[in-house]
Amino acid sequence: MLKVLAKSELGQFLDKLKQEFRVVAPVRRQYGKKERVEYHPVENSEEIILDSQPDTPPKKFFLPQNERLGDELEGETDLEEGEKETLIFGVRSCDLKAVEILKPVFLDDDFTDTYFQKKLEKTVMFGLGCSSRQENCFCDSLEINPLEGKNVPVNMYDDGEKIWFAVRDKELEKFFADLPDGDAEELEEKKGKWQEEFEKTAITLDLPLPFPELKTFEAPFWHKVSANCLGCGVCTYYCPTCFCFGFFWEKHPEGIDRWRTWDSCMFPLFTKHGGGHNPRETQKQRTRQRIMHKFSYHPQNFDGVPACSGCGRCISQCPVNIDLRVILRTVEKYLKEEEGVKSSG
Amino acid sequence: METNYSEISKKIQEISRKLLEEGRVDRVIGFERGEFTGEMTPVLVTDPEEAENLLFNPECEMMLAKYLLDYGGSTTGIVAKPCDTRAITVYLAEELIKRDEIVIIGINDCQGLEENEACDECGVRNPVVADEEIGQPRQEPVETDIKDDLKDMSLGERFAYFQEEFSRCIRCYACREACFVCSCEECFVDSNQPQWVGFSVGLRDNFTFHLMRAMHMAGRCINCGACELACPEAINMRALTRNLYRVAQEVYEFEPGLDPEEKTLFATYRLNDSEQGFLD
Repeated sequence: MLKVLAKSELGQFLDKLKQEFRVVAPVRRQYGKKERVEYHPVENSEEIILDSQPDTPPKKFFLPQNERLGDELEGETDLEEGEKETLIFGVRSCDLKAVEILKPVFLDDDFTDTYFQKKLEKTVMFGLGCSSRQENCFCDSLEINPLEGKNVPVNMYDDGEKIWFAVRDKELEKFFADLPDGDAEELEEKKGKWQEEFEKTAITLDLPLPFPELKTFEAPFWHKVSANCLGCGVCTYYCPTCFCFGFFWEKHPEGIDRWRTWDSCMFPLFTKHGGGHNPRETQKQRTRQRIMHKFSYHPQNFDGVPACSGCGRCISQCPVNIDLRVILRTVEKYLKEEEGVKSSG
Repeated sequence: METNYSEISKKIQEISRKLLEEGRVDRVIGFERGEFTGEMTPVLVTDPEEAENLLFNPECEMMLAKYLLDYGGSTTGIVAKPCDTRAITVYLAEELIKRDEIVIIGINDCQGLEENEACDECGVRNPVVADEEIGQPRQEPVETDIKDDLKDMSLGERFAYFQEEFSRCIRCYACREACFVCSCEECFVDSNQPQWVGFSVGLRDNFTFHLMRAMHMAGRCINCGACELACPEAINMRALTRNLYRVAQEVYEFEPGLDPEEKTLFATYRLNDSEQGFLD
């Protein structure tokens, strides 16, 4: 089913969806001098922004920065009964892929993270095909199609005037029944043009995945690529796939709450042992860990898939403009040279 | 006269190449333009051939002084805006770096940065200390005023203001890491015995972090604005530190980072010191 909606009628359309879902979409927010686009529950359809990548990923809906896991003595808390399903409206390919990357980590057969699972089960995402490259994104260098979100019941496109909906789920068709049909050829033509633009600006990465662990770990370039890293947690907190967390407990008059909260491998405390020793004492070691986790350890454990979807937020948000693409190119060049030395020797 | 940034960049390249070739420094810390982002980023140059990548322009917003702390025991050249030289001066006064281990390539007649509002409040337009100077020093003083928002706010208004600002904090600590004053070997945030700040991200712990950090800033913060530039959530934490800067200036006639021989504010005590306190 292919349907089209004039953007001016978006509000009415969302009202229909709101009857059944808690609708979340990228909206504009003004923070001091900075304008931001973030996923928020929609109050007014006019604040929805579909032509700009949200500054923060939708990760927070499955893995909130702070999450109460229940009372230490009484056990887990359940999601409140009767809570509406969340519909995230307009999730780009990078962020959809990021959820796919998180799934096997949290939904492993041997250990299922029920908190993540329950939230994911209560969420529906409408994909949004990108019509232009965003600030620093490079999903197409990681074999992700920016135009075609995977595993979503609806994929949308915004051509500036109309929103196109490719509806793949029978149960959701009722919401679209009143809308006029879209011309599949017209859409294909538009997609072809967008695709061309992506191809023109693509960066080729030829990464051997997973990165060979020892060889990459011991490579000489890590100090150089991490020398300007401040050691803050911005890249990890804005990353759609970084999932590390810590636990803490809080006592209050009624009991003891168990919480989990995001943690970051960029922080020294992340690995500091009780006895005082820290196996990752320097920023070089910590930066290396982040890259190695994403491109060596994760693909080793999960079918060769890197834990990066190329959204580029770590690059855009970095206070010193460190560029992951430059680091990946450095690794790529080093490994190729090493390979050359080996085969010629 | 218009500032010629390509001329400044050329001088930086020449000086850096010479310093590296002659073995006067082991490395130079400066700025280069990112290959894909097109944005300026701090870079460490060790090879004289790479000195040609060094650039300077009003986009070079990061403070470089803090990188010096990583390289004690060897020699480092540093491209320094006047604010960087003030940070270096604070480090020298606090004996965190050694003068003979650094070569300061100071930039005269700083015009301020494009994105940094703190530059409008800064009257120090020439390096405080330098080994190599680029351009002519500015002679005429710059009229500046610390735009202290807190000055005319009531306590209630201040509280409401900071509640709004700190509610956005995700505690990524970009402000701390970008701040040259935040150079403690172990930050109070990273201490878990005792634990000063809770791990949760919420108003209570966010307030604790920002207020405790501010308490360490008085008489050391030079109001450079690096914290705000680094903050991804656009939190105006300088409202706190700028207030402290103004109070130190007005009450104790103290401005940090102008004289490496001068003791820091908290290292001095006079019997007639005013007892006006924090956020009075």
